[in-house]
Amino acid sequence: MSPFDTVKAALLLFVAAILQVSVFTQVHVLGGVPDILLVMLVSIALLRGSIVGALGGFFAGLLVDTATLGTLGLTSLVLTIAGYWIGRYGETTGRDRAHAPFTSVAVVTFLYLFGLVIVHFVLGENAPAGPVARGLFPTVAMNLLLTAPVYALVRRLLRPLDRADYATEVQLLG
Amino acid sequence: MPVASRDRTARVAVLGSSVRRSRNDRFPSRGRSSLVRRGVFTVLILVALGLLTISFRSPTTGALHDVQGYGASALRPFQVAAERVAKPFQDVYGYFTGLVNAKSENKKLKREVQEWQAIANANVAAARQSGEFKRLLHYEEGATYPNDYRAVNTTVISYPSGPFAQQVTIAAGSNAGIHVGTPIVTADGLIGRVTNVSTGTAQVTLLTDANSAVPARDVTHSVAGLIRHGQGSSLILDLVSKQLPVKKDDIVVTQGTVDRRYPDLYPYGIPIGRVQSVGTSDIASYLSIQVTPFAQFDSLDAVAALIPKHPR
Repeated sequence: MSPFDTVKAALLLFVAAILQVSVFTQVHVLGGVPDILLVMLVSIALLRGSIVGALGGFFAGLLVDTATLGTLGLTSLVLTIAGYWIGRYGETTGRDRAHAPFTSVAVVTFLYLFGLVIVHFVLGENAPAGPVARGLFPTVAMNLLLTAPVYALVRRLLRPLDRADYATEVQLLG
Repeated sequence: MPVASRDRTARVAVLGSSVRRSRNDRFPSRGRSSLVRRGVFTVLILVALGLLTISFRSPTTGALHDVQGYGASALRPFQVAAERVAKPFQDVYGYFTGLVNAKSENKKLKREVQEWQAIANANVAAARQSGEFKRLLHYEEGATYPNDYRAVNTTVISYPSGPFAQQVTIAAGSNAGIHVGTPIVTADGLIGRVTNVSTGTAQVTLLTDANSAVPARDVTHSVAGLIRHGQGSSLILDLVSKQLPVKKDDIVVTQGTVDRRYPDLYPYGIPIGRVQSVGTSDIASYLSIQVTPFAQFDSLDAVAALIPKHPR
């Protein structure tokens, strides 16, 4: 990944984090809140792999925790795992699949929300699984609506790597 | 039973045998060994856990908190800008949703204005009388709301991201005189208190947070209790004995300091809400009182921090 790509990815995550904490958290539909930051992270991780996904998740989580004066590291922890995992999916089975962004966003939204429930529970804080479960489907639906435009934007700015850049799982000889 | 077709060519799949894989230098995670990839991931997780531990142990003090404060102050302009850019869209949305309920709301508001007018007239007379009594009795009391407080007017720049913590961030901090415990109000009533502060921003924990508890008083029947979070944006007035008279539509305000040794964070008289329902059951020790808050927690915008004019 070129330094210019790194700057673009960092800028995208920065803008998404600011929009998330200041604008998107006000959009409540049937108990769900859209998460543009998560969608952005998934898009970047799918296109640039697990290391960029993990670093992006860590950076984005740190921004969110700093902007909200929340517990530092909490969001970073969950987003780092999400970014890494989706990056791995993008490097292996998810590459070149048209449905990969949508599948990833749906699954990661589910895991991210319940990951936060678990971390809050472990810390002894308020961890209401009921409201999270009630808001899960509206959140997934709104994130899926955001996926197409966000992924298209990220794909335009961070062009997909050449096919030769991807490892083949089985090499044919002869 | 054949295990391979007859027309196989010399190209054979080599799963399980030695494989020459292509070099992938340009793909970051492919070009490096899996060891590096796992190493980066492990380091990031350990750093996150380290930050989490330090931040959790001392959320409002320490070097890390100071750094976080500087970061929050640096991010504030971007948050304010995002908020301002989004404002017209929110206003348009609010305008159209308002139109849907305009007629029924207008009728309801007219009825409420009549009721409030009658209450206001009675209050003016009572306040005048109360002032005279206080003078006659040389009555001593602590700081009263709103006369003994100055308001630091500011805006909300981040909102609760989910049901985990009902906290917002405001665009004013310790440089405006705000400190941990400062009460935050809107024009409608109390919304919460400051629980973390940096130089330019402050974190406000709302009344709807699971950890919030505010000593409160039903002013209509002079009954004291504790305001806690209820379902959604509603509140409950807890610890009110079943024998005490609390009725629907009673007004609930902050209790204020009762014992000088244990001063309350909130002055007496900040409006909190109106009693929506009162229930009781044989097994419960206390009344089950639902309170509808005056403040609209789901559309917070302009707020004020109450700073005592004469700090003790």
